Amino acid sequence: MGRTPYWNIDLGILIDLFALPMIVIFFYGMYGHWKRIRQGKVRVNLDLSKSAGKIGPVYLYSLLTKGILGTKIYKKIYTGVAHGGLFWGMVVLLLGTILVFLNVLFGLPVFSGGFNHWFMAFALDFAGLAVFGGILFFLVRRLLFPPERLTEPKSRTGFSPIVLLLGVVILTGFVVEGGRIACNGIDNGSFMGNYLSMMFGKGDEWLTLHRYMWWIHGFLALGFLAYIPYSPLVHLLLVPVNAALADPMPGTKMGLIDFSSFEDEESEEMPVLGAAKLADFSRKRLLDYSTCLWCGRCHEVCPAAQTGKPLSPKGVIITLAECLQDGRVEDDSLIDSLTSEALFCCTTCAACMEACPALINQPKTIMKFRQNLVMERSEIPELMGKANSSLELRGHPFFGTGAGPNDWCKDLDVPLFEEGKTEYLLWIGCSVTYEERAQQIAGSMVKILSHAGTSFGILEEFRCTGDPAKQMGNEFQFAELAQQNIEDFSDLGIKKIITMCPHCYNSFTRHYPKLGGNYQVIPHSVFLKSLLKAGRLSLNRETNTICYHDPCYLGRRNAIYDEPRDVVNSMGKLVEMPRNRNESFCCGGGGGNYWAEEVGTRINQVRAEEALGTGADFIATSCPFCLLMLTDGAKKFTEDQKIFDIAELVALQLEER
Amino acid sequence: MHIVVLAKVVPDYEVPAGDFELTNSRAHSRYKRMMGLYDENAIESGVQLKEKYSASLTIVSYGIKADIQVLRKAVAMGGEKLSLVLGGSDDPNVIAANLKMAVEKLEDVDLILAGQQSADMDRGIVHGMLAEMLGFAFIPQVAKIEQEDGQWKVIQNTESGSSELKFGGKAVLSITSVPENVPRIPVVRSIFAAKKKPVVQLPEIEGDAMPVDELSVDIPKMESVCEFLPTEDDPAETAKILLGRLREERLI
Repeated sequence: MGRTPYWNIDLGILIDLFALPMIVIFFYGMYGHWKRIRQGKVRVNLDLSKSAGKIGPVYLYSLLTKGILGTKIYKKIYTGVAHGGLFWGMVVLLLGTILVFLNVLFGLPVFSGGFNHWFMAFALDFAGLAVFGGILFFLVRRLLFPPERLTEPKSRTGFSPIVLLLGVVILTGFVVEGGRIACNGIDNGSFMGNYLSMMFGKGDEWLTLHRYMWWIHGFLALGFLAYIPYSPLVHLLLVPVNAALADPMPGTKMGLIDFSSFEDEESEEMPVLGAAKLADFSRKRLLDYSTCLWCGRCHEVCPAAQTGKPLSPKGVIITLAECLQDGRVEDDSLIDSLTSEALFCCTTCAACMEACPALINQPKTIMKFRQNLVMERSEIPELMGKANSSLELRGHPFFGTGAGPNDWCKDLDVPLFEEGKTEYLLWIGCSVTYEERAQQIAGSMVKILSHAGTSFGILEEFRCTGDPAKQMGNEFQFAELAQQNIEDFSDLGIKKIITMCPHCYNSFTRHYPKLGGNYQVIPHSVFLKSLLKAGRLSLNRETNTICYHDPCYLGRRNAIYDEPRDVVNSMGKLVEMPRNRNESFCCGGGGGNYWAEEVGTRINQVRAEEALGTGADFIATSCPFCLLMLTDGAKKFTEDQKIFDIAELVALQLEER
Repeated sequence: MHIVVLAKVVPDYEVPAGDFELTNSRAHSRYKRMMGLYDENAIESGVQLKEKYSASLTIVSYGIKADIQVLRKAVAMGGEKLSLVLGGSDDPNVIAANLKMAVEKLEDVDLILAGQQSADMDRGIVHGMLAEMLGFAFIPQVAKIEQEDGQWKVIQNTESGSSELKFGGKAVLSITSVPENVPRIPVVRSIFAAKKKPVVQLPEIEGDAMPVDELSVDIPKMESVCEFLPTEDDPAETAKILLGRLREERLI
């Protein structure tokens, strides 16, 4: 037998009329969010190219997978399942409510046949149970056993009332269903309603109770929906929007700053460099702050936050979220409240971004503040300042180095790049040139490339790509260095570049093209893999175990995980650290923090301990900064030299032809 | 209040010893030219005083025309004017006389700051001679400057401690390097503004060179001598042995 809508309810249609003002309240709340977000700058993305799965600014795949399906949530399986139950249960319940409404208005036959049995009865009960289970999980976890990531630097208030309200809506819904079934007979499929109906009688007092509960359930459900935009649950709506607009390319892209207006004496208004207050950010960033769930997944994976530094990416984003909520978009004390000490602790490793289920770009926000501190206020930690000055004066950041520019190759026969004759430029990079331990990477690469018969050459004189300046916030310095490099490359007709440093690779591929420098750039780990695959290198495979550390700028920022592992596997047995690939933990040297006086626990020691804990014979990496940081970190635990670049290991294992 | 900072452009003072070479008894011309290390501390001190006391700040230098590009950094850091005496002498008396001429062309100079020694010649005497010529007081190795009751109060750092000094009137102060005067990175708008500021270029005057002839200039040769110290159970003991050896060799 089919269900009768509004059974036992007089004028039940009124609930649908009451829905109208609630919808108005709902949209007014959403309009409030839009009003706050639109105070950001309009940054037009000129790259509206028709890439696959992108319509206008909307990335469809990202919207579907990360925004709607919430795939990132399930990295924490219990939270993910609870979250999925709550979200999808609500979706199904909302759909069921809409179908009832359509049945009342237009007679849509939803209360008959298999659809009634499987969807209107079973699925809706199951959805209600899933939502209730999710609510219990979140209440117990938030109120009784909150993990540190939820409470540090502070907890979000406002979740419990709306979640409790939702719980009452679900409970009253079950009670109403139970009352109806008690009077009308068992409804196959409604397992919750059938069970609860056993507690009901059939007298008038039960019918009255059913009526009251029906109205209470209806009003609370409408109130709940209207309250969503004013509560933390608004992330249900904002996360999909944020996901749709977030560039799915891995890592942070900082774009370019046009400095030409500074040249114009007539220019009345100079652009603000970076950001000091909310109004300096784009609308997309303000959407980020509105979307933040305060879940603290970023805090949990941040190398700074986890080693006692004053920075918490969650702390930064929630401070901005509160500031935005309070309407303080022009408050330029914001940057001071975050403190430059904290902002310069960021290693730009992008672990926060990778972990964020709401697709917030935390590093970009932090970098914008850094840009303002450095380029507008001359505020930079002393050692980073010295590195910046050295970049300006000498073209490399290694102030006080005892190495000359040619020390690394003094005992080697290294060809110079010749226009029209040489195929690849072997880009040495500043750390490989000026740090004694890293110099051995270049020596190994020269040996390997010569062995493989690769046509390569180096520059007679070179300067840094500018990456350290960019990561420290000095975009101006970066642009100067990059322009000079691009001119040099153009003069020499350079088209293909092999890099040994992922920071150089990242600069060449992400930032140089926007300045007119377009090259085929190959990280040395990828090049080594291609040489092995082509049979131009053969290695003595030994029984050694080798643990591979993913450099942030090769892994998370450029999604190169497999090639270095393939190279490692060709020499020995690969072992993994607990945190690997896209969940790798930073060495501590990124974001200019190679030149930092670290407070708290040293990040490189944490990572070195994790690597040594695998018991591997060697620890390999493919970044000179990681090599230097981990070598230093490992000194606390062992006197043995265990950290190597993969090029060094390949050079050691080369079979003589 | 008008503050002058003396700045000298020198060859890269961080060229590794193994790479350093001389031509005509001076650093090879291939090395990049930059402002002296202590001079940047002096500029930073001058900029801080300018900001604190609403003073005006002029950068004065003695050198070649190509130095202007380097000296613009001093303007970008906060200098308002740049005055360069064009000359190539290494004689401290000649340099001091030319700086005196440049300072006298500026009106009402109250305070002159200079790095405690240049990064190329390391003599640390020009500012003292300039003070003598101008009739100003001279205080070397100053770490901190502030105004109090119309007078200047300074902290002078010495090898064994520090002194607090007070003086009225005009003075030349040689500035030492302390955490409080770490040179700032110029902000971008100042870098662009500095490019447009006019530079006063003054012809050199003939000064009396000191009656000293430079016979030769040598730089130490790189030597690598490795000595293994006996390993003790107590690292502190090994450190003591190391200290003893360094003292024996007069390296510390």
